[in-house]
Amino acid sequence: MSRRAKIFWIALLVVFAGGLFYLRSLARRVFFEPPPHSDESAKARLSEAVLQSGAGPNEIAVLFFPSLSGRALVAESRPIKWAPSAADRVRQVLLALAEGPSQRLGHPLAAATTVRAVFLTLDGTAYVDLSSDLVSGIYPGIEAESLAVYSIVNSITTNITAVKRVKILIQGQEVDTLEGHADLTEAIVPDPTLLKGNP
Amino acid sequence: MTAIAIECQGCLEFDFEHYEKGKRLQSLRKHLPGSWHKLLLSLTLLISGLGLLLWPVRTLRSDNFVFYFPTSRRVIPLEVIDSVQYLPLLPVLNLVGTLNALTERRNNLKVAFGDSHIELHDGDPRVRLDKKTLILAAPVRVSNGKWMVPGDFLTTVLARLTNQDVEYQIGTNRVFIGNIKPSSFTLRMEQESNGAKLTFQFTDKVTVHTESVNGQWVMFLGDHPIQPLEQSFHFQNPYVSEVRFDDQDGLPKLVITPSAGGLNFYPELSEGGKTLRAEVSKPAPAQPSPQTAKAPPPATPSSTASTAPPVTPGSAPGTAAPAGPAGPASPAGPPLPVVALDAGHGGEDNGARSRDGVLEKELVAQLVERVRQALLTTGKFRIVMTRTGDANVTFEQRAVAANVAGAAYFLTFHAGDLGGGSPEVAIYTYQSPGLASPSSEGRANPFFVAWDRIQENHIDQSRQLAQTIERDLAVLAGVTLDPPTTAPERTLRSVNAPAVAIEIGSLSPDVDAGPLTDAAFQLHLSSIVAEALSALQAGGA
Repeated sequence: MSRRAKIFWIALLVVFAGGLFYLRSLARRVFFEPPPHSDESAKARLSEAVLQSGAGPNEIAVLFFPSLSGRALVAESRPIKWAPSAADRVRQVLLALAEGPSQRLGHPLAAATTVRAVFLTLDGTAYVDLSSDLVSGIYPGIEAESLAVYSIVNSITTNITAVKRVKILIQGQEVDTLEGHADLTEAIVPDPTLLKGNP
Repeated sequence: MTAIAIECQGCLEFDFEHYEKGKRLQSLRKHLPGSWHKLLLSLTLLISGLGLLLWPVRTLRSDNFVFYFPTSRRVIPLEVIDSVQYLPLLPVLNLVGTLNALTERRNNLKVAFGDSHIELHDGDPRVRLDKKTLILAAPVRVSNGKWMVPGDFLTTVLARLTNQDVEYQIGTNRVFIGNIKPSSFTLRMEQESNGAKLTFQFTDKVTVHTESVNGQWVMFLGDHPIQPLEQSFHFQNPYVSEVRFDDQDGLPKLVITPSAGGLNFYPELSEGGKTLRAEVSKPAPAQPSPQTAKAPPPATPSSTASTAPPVTPGSAPGTAAPAGPAGPASPAGPPLPVVALDAGHGGEDNGARSRDGVLEKELVAQLVERVRQALLTTGKFRIVMTRTGDANVTFEQRAVAANVAGAAYFLTFHAGDLGGGSPEVAIYTYQSPGLASPSSEGRANPFFVAWDRIQENHIDQSRQLAQTIERDLAVLAGVTLDPPTTAPERTLRSVNAPAVAIEIGSLSPDVDAGPLTDAAFQLHLSSIVAEALSALQAGGA
C-alpha cells in the first residue's frame, strides 16, 4: 500500500471514530438524560395543579413582601382556596409570593421561580426546594437578601401553623447563601420584628 | 548492534540504528521531498494568516486613569492599544455629566450629552461635536464592545463639552478637571557613608503616612492632587534603586524600591510639610536590644503625622496574615490588637453591580484599603486582610484568617441595594437564622459551641461595636445612616470576635455608583471607622 493511501485510511479512521463518539454522546443525551427543562416544566405543571386543587371557600392568606424603602416586610392579604395538605399549602404560598405583590413592594421570588419540591418533617421544618431562578429577582445585598428570605419564611409560617421553620434548598442542593449574604446553612425561624409597625 | 531500516515508497524515509548501551546514537536522517516542503510551508502560512486575521485588537496593558475634580476623584481603567492610551468613552462622559441619549449602530455612535451631540466612528480619528469636526491623535476604537477614545479626547473634546479647565499631559494617567492646582515635587538624592538621603521638595504642603508593602516603602501623600514632573527616578547605588510616583488608586504616593533587603527607612516631614527627607541606611551592628537609641519616636496617632516610624521592607503589617509588628518600629509592650478587614465577594463572585458598571467586589476592596490605611495611621492596631486582590475566598477561609490571628474586631464590608438615597450606610450584627432572637433565648453555651456558630458568643460585643461605629458615623454629613440592626449575614457566622457587617448603598442596577466611589466619602467613612475602633479600644471594650 502506498504511503498516501495509508494516510488516507488513517484520516478516514479518525473521522469515523470521531463520528462514533459523537453519535454515542448524542444517543446518551437523547435516550438517557432528560432535557433540562422537562423537569422544571413538570414541576411547574404540578404547581398549577396544586393551585387548582383548592376546595372549599376562599380564605385569607397573609403574605409578606419586602418594603421598597428597606428594613421591613409589609403584609398583604389575598383570598386563597387552601389545598388539603400542609405541603401543598406551602407550595401555594410560594407560588403566590412568586406572583408578586399588588402594591408597590419588592419581589422576594422572581416570577420564573419554580417550586421544585416541598417536604414537611415532624419537627415542623418545611424543606422548600426552589429553582435557581429565585435569585434573578433579588438585588444582591445584605438587606435585600435578608428581606427576601424572611419574606418566604414569615409568609409560610404565618399561614401554615404546622411549619415552625423553613429550610431553603436551591436546585435540590443545600447552599451557603442566596447571593453571598443571607445565611441558608440551617433552617430559618420567622423574624416577627421585621413586620412593618413592629418595634 | 541491530540495524533497522524502514522503507517507504519515495516519501518519508527513516534510517536509524537501534540504540545499544554505551554506543553513540547516530543522528536521524530525514528526507523530505519537495512536495511535502511546499505543503508544510503553505499550511504554516495559512495558519499564520488565520491567526493574524482572528487575533483580537492588541492590548498591550491595562491600567488606571485618575480623574481629579475639585472635591473628589474617580478612577477608571484605561487600555493601551498599539502604544496609545485609550479611555472608555461612556464612563468618562458619565463622570463629567449626564448622558441624555445614545444611538449605536455598527460602526457609529451618537451621544446626546447635555446640549451637545457627539458622533464617532470606529477606526476614525474624527469626532463630530455638534457641527464642528475635531480630529483626535488616534482613531476611535471599539474594544470588547466598549467605545474607546484616545487620551487627547480629554483636551480636544471634553474641555469643550464641559466648559471647564482640563489639564492633561499626554502619556500621563491623570487629568485635572475644574479649578485644581496640583502640586509637584523635585527629588534630590545624596549618598552617605552608611546610606542614602532622599529629599523631596513639594510645591504645597503634604501629609505623609508610610507603610512597607511587598519589600517596598510606600509613602502616602495625603489628599492633595499631585502632578509629578517625572513619573519615576532610577538610581544605581546599594540603597535605593527606584523612586516612583503612583496614584493609580486615586491616592498619591511615592513608592521607593530599595536595592537590597534589610535596610532601614526613616522618613521625616519638615518646613511645614513642604520638605520630605527620607534616610535609607544599613541597620546598625548587632545591639543587645532591637529598640536602639537610633530609632526615631513611634508613629504619631494622627493622619497628619509629621514623622513616621522606620520601616523595614518585607514586613508588611497591613497585608501580612497574622504578622507581627514591623521590625525596628516594634513598640515595646504587648502586641497591638488585630483588626480583621474583610472585603466581600471576590473572584468570580462580583456581588452587586451598579447601573454604570461598578462591581461590589472592587468597590469594597477599595474601601477596605482605605480603612486599613486609616487604622494603621492610628498606630493602635495590626491589620489582617481576609482577601487581597481579586481572589475567591470562602466564608470559612475568611473566618479562619480572623480567628487564627486572634482578631479583636472583625469588619466585613459590602455594598448593595439599601432602598434609600445614596450614599447610605447600614451596620449589621449577626442574626442566627435558627434562633428567633439571638440576644435573649439564643445565648450559646460559652463552653460548648459549634465552631461554625461561634459568633453567637459575641452578640453583645458585636452590638456594642455596631453602636459605637453608628454613633460616630452620625457626624458624616450628607449620608443616610440606618440604625444598627441584625441580619443573617453568612460571613459573620464563624467569626470568633466582635464582628459587624458594614453595607454601603445603594449599589444596584437602578442607580449609578457615583456617590459611593467618591474618594472623599470613602476617606471620611474610613477615618470614622478607625476613630470608632480606637475609642472602643481605649475604653477597654
